[in-house]
Amino acid sequence: MTTLPWGRRYLMCPPVHFGVLYEINPWMHREVRVDPTKARAEWDGLVRTLRDAGAEVELLDPVEGLPDLVFTANAGVVNGRQFVPARFRHPERAGEVPHDVDWFTSRGFTVDELPDDVHHEGAGDALPFRDVLLSGYRFRSDASSHAYLSRLTGAAVRSVELVDARMYHLDLTFCPLDDRRAIVAPDGWDSYGRRVVEALVPEPLVLDVDEALSFCANSVVVDRTIVMPMCPPRVGRQLEAWGFEVAVAPVGEFLKAGGGCRCLTLALDVHLGVLA
Amino acid sequence: MASELVEVEGHIIDSLILAKVLDVILDAGADYRMVDVDIGKTNVDASRARLEVTCDDDEALANLLEQLSIHGANRVTTADARLESCTIDGVLPAGFYSTTNLPTQVRLDGRWVDIENPEMDCAIVVRSDGRVRTEPMHRVHLGDQIVVGLDGVRVATPQRPRGANPFEFMSSEVSSEKPKELVVAQVADRMRATRADGRKILAVCGPAVIHTGAGPAIAAMVAGGWIDLLFAGNGFATHDIESNVLGTSLGVLLREGRPTEHGHANHLRVINEVRRHGSIARAVEAGFVTGGVMYECVTHGVPFVLGGSVRDDGPLPDVHANVIDAADAMRAALPGVGVALMLASTLHAIATGNLLPAGVETFCVDINQAVVTKLADRGSHQALGIVTDVGLFARELCDHLVS
Repeated sequence: MTTLPWGRRYLMCPPVHFGVLYEINPWMHREVRVDPTKARAEWDGLVRTLRDAGAEVELLDPVEGLPDLVFTANAGVVNGRQFVPARFRHPERAGEVPHDVDWFTSRGFTVDELPDDVHHEGAGDALPFRDVLLSGYRFRSDASSHAYLSRLTGAAVRSVELVDARMYHLDLTFCPLDDRRAIVAPDGWDSYGRRVVEALVPEPLVLDVDEALSFCANSVVVDRTIVMPMCPPRVGRQLEAWGFEVAVAPVGEFLKAGGGCRCLTLALDVHLGVLA
Repeated sequence: MASELVEVEGHIIDSLILAKVLDVILDAGADYRMVDVDIGKTNVDASRARLEVTCDDDEALANLLEQLSIHGANRVTTADARLESCTIDGVLPAGFYSTTNLPTQVRLDGRWVDIENPEMDCAIVVRSDGRVRTEPMHRVHLGDQIVVGLDGVRVATPQRPRGANPFEFMSSEVSSEKPKELVVAQVADRMRATRADGRKILAVCGPAVIHTGAGPAIAAMVAGGWIDLLFAGNGFATHDIESNVLGTSLGVLLREGRPTEHGHANHLRVINEVRRHGSIARAVEAGFVTGGVMYECVTHGVPFVLGGSVRDDGPLPDVHANVIDAADAMRAALPGVGVALMLASTLHAIATGNLLPAGVETFCVDINQAVVTKLADRGSHQALGIVTDVGLFARELCDHLVS
């Protein structure tokens, strides 16, 4: 088996202005208070864990009034030196786009935009596996965005319909581990999507619905280290049996907003078309 | 029925999106027709499919389109048809849409409206009351709103007929080597079905019908209610009357097959006498004509249109000497026609073919295969050719229908 050729460099945004200020997924409840100190400590812990695993972390400046800017996975799709910014479904997050675009532009990325009338929420709904880009649709991204994404990046896109609102992004249901393995949560997909992933992943680690709802698919893979928000014992045993090292980085404050470790990071070293 | 064109593209085969879209359509009780599919050659290439989705009504269609859009199958945005005013009577705006004889719809204010009377080689006129009709060039008037360009016009593709009808048992469009009895029986069946549906049967007859001795068979079919409308020329009507008044067709005795002395003038004498009466109907009333196809038409109230030509003798008083008037008279008589029999007539068959909507089952009977081919080449694709002697065909058909 070959480790993932990407996942060693990430963009993250410190949780200076993070909070649950609106409700755009079933996890968000404005009456649930976020503890900023604890959130910052968890975020710092995640950065440390990623760096310990060998990853580089680059920073995006936080912006007041944009609490979800911390979830950089949704900023867009990275392909080499190309950046396709997200088109957010909810207006609450649309304000993040100019800040994401500024960051990538200032670092010499080419920015290619999706049409105005289609939604796609970046790497949150698009994860490379082998020679394709698996992309979710329904809750946040439109199925029609996939053809545009393919046209802009040259990637072969496999569309998967998400059917459980609690798993509203693909990255809550799918986590590529290496060139043959991935953590998968089929309860999040329709029957066609399950068949697509079944055909794509030779050795899936299949989560049951409770494991999936613990956000354990929302993990970050750095070489052979899996950085997870939490790890059910069965999942941990399987990962270790496959030779991976599990590093749990608790991010409970961010789970209140419906985001785990993967949501807090955006891989910057993805090259679509020359995937694993 | 309501239908709309939708398009879905991307990696729709590998993602099973196309399969899902088709399943969604069928699960909704709707139907689809694949209009165009472009499948990527490698797994990196995207694919594209265009489907026409048909539902029972507008509401069901709207619901289905909403469901399909979730999976990325979106309505193909189509512009309304472009209209231009006629500025001169009888002259169309340059760039006018030229029609086919197929069922056609025009998009007006976002809705598809059926053309009332499909006819080839016409313009589409949108009337102030929202009705849409084809009109030939000479019948457009100053101020008429004419469809120009191709936008907002869609034509239904002719479908292969299914089920038991004569178009099915023929594998070729022109049949010269098929068992004729079977063909005749099938044509008779279609005529029965058409009459049972309350639609009309049109016969278009050339003079050879009389020359070959088939006149009595056609006359019996008119008398028996198997022909509701007759199109012909001066020649057919003249020889039909000649054969009943003098026993000859173009001077040849029909019973004996030999020419009569001075028989070449027989048809002129007959025309002259009918002209003296003022019309075929009056000649029948006066007892000058006592049998034949025209006689049966008059006595059974079956309308006929006789179109003139430049080589006509006389002509008979009923003949439209102005060909534009003749075509208009034929056009006016056509609504309700379900079957057309083109019997040994080249010019009138093609003229009629030009006027018929594609839905009219057309049987073209001629000894010459070229006539049949010519009809199809000119766009009457619905025509089934039967290459045989019209005299034998008509007699056999009559035997099937008239007991």
